[in-house]
Amino acid sequence: MSVKILDAKGLKCPMPIIKAKKEIDAMSPGDLLEVHATDPGSVADFQGWSKTSKTAGLKDQRTESGSDGKTVYIHVLERK
Amino acid sequence: MNAEHTITVERLIEQADASAPFLLLDVRNDDEYAAWKVEGRHPIETLHIPYFDFVEEPALVTRVPSDRREVLVLCAKGGSSAFVAEMLREAGINAKNVEGGMIAYGDYLQPVRVPLDADEADRFEIWQLNRRGKGCLSYVIRCGTEAVVVDPSRHVCEYERIIERLGARIVRVFDTHVHADHLSGGPELARLSGASYFVAVSDGGKLQHTVTPARDGEEIRLGADHASTLAIRVMETPGHTPGSTSFLVGRRHLLTGDTVFVAGIGRPDLGGDVAAWGRALYHTLHERLGALPDDVVILPAHYSDVSEIRDDGVVAGVLGEIRRAVPELQLRSEEEFVEAMKSALSAPPETYTRIIEANLGTLRANAEEASEWELGKNQCAASRH
Repeated sequence: MSVKILDAKGLKCPMPIIKAKKEIDAMSPGDLLEVHATDPGSVADFQGWSKTSKTAGLKDQRTESGSDGKTVYIHVLERK
Repeated sequence: MNAEHTITVERLIEQADASAPFLLLDVRNDDEYAAWKVEGRHPIETLHIPYFDFVEEPALVTRVPSDRREVLVLCAKGGSSAFVAEMLREAGINAKNVEGGMIAYGDYLQPVRVPLDADEADRFEIWQLNRRGKGCLSYVIRCGTEAVVVDPSRHVCEYERIIERLGARIVRVFDTHVHADHLSGGPELARLSGASYFVAVSDGGKLQHTVTPARDGEEIRLGADHASTLAIRVMETPGHTPGSTSFLVGRRHLLTGDTVFVAGIGRPDLGGDVAAWGRALYHTLHERLGALPDDVVILPAHYSDVSEIRDDGVVAGVLGEIRRAVPELQLRSEEEFVEAMKSALSAPPETYTRIIEANLGTLRANAEEASEWELGKNQCAASRH
């Protein structure tokens, strides 16, 4: 099992999900992808996407404070 | 971005109001879609498929009808909808992206001229600026080369543009009260135009702005440089807030703020003391407004439903008809009225306390926060009919 980090900071929708799908589709079942985003809208969008996605399951969502003080929204996805 | 592949919210609203044949494809997530939608004066045929469903399954484009109708694609800010519109065009569908998405919809002001009787029409004009996405109304009143702006939203350049087009300059800026649902552009517009600003100081002990008082019964003269002048009479109408102020423009047009609407009355609970403010509102509605003739035209600061927009595009009501139609105005005792107010009200949106602080000048909002706090339609009425 591998854990990969996808830096999607500063990207606006739809890019974080487009990039996350590209990464997760190339991973093996059980692998984890941590998406780091700054768009607050990404929280509900990752929840929505993971409900219908055939490859991405949402394991966890949390926030951290970035180096510039901005909130970073972290979405942990598991390759189904 | 190719201009042929985009449409402005202004044009979207025009098309919706004219019942033009198009399909609106809303690609926001379920929660955002449930909370706030684009409304035209006629129902809009809408399909809701979140953009991430298209990312997951590009074949979903086949669910979008590919007849000759235009498909207008909408999201929160305009990015995801541009992506989906592009996908649809590649599939041969006539799709356009709604520029700026719901943020642009919430910011757009539609200027509509209020019709006046012949004897007033040649002396002055009233423009109602309808913020369609939120149901907020603000006003520009011009007589000669002088203009007054009432309840401006934070998009101050829109007001500067219309006033320049009218060949006037702003002499006074009024807020009917300290708003809770949207950020006021009043202090900034006054500062930029060198005009004086008014909001009743009784609306907040912490008010940080310099105000020029406007006292009950005072007449503000507009158009001193013009052959004829216009009197705007100040009326204290407490209730929605303690400092709520109405303005009688000429003989017939009363700008009521959130005191009385076309189809309801303002909620008296946003200050936390619904009993005290409710009693004040009762007396304002029955005594102060009760003394006005039936043919006074009410120009409010909000509306709750697009059905309140008349065929001529104006949101206005005749006082006599409002008195007969609004149930809260039928209540004939102060206690009954206060009880009705207490039982009818739902909790206001959480952002309202922050917006009030920003409007008092004790809190600053950056552009992103301003958009975020203002999301959704206003909830200033005590009733929806």
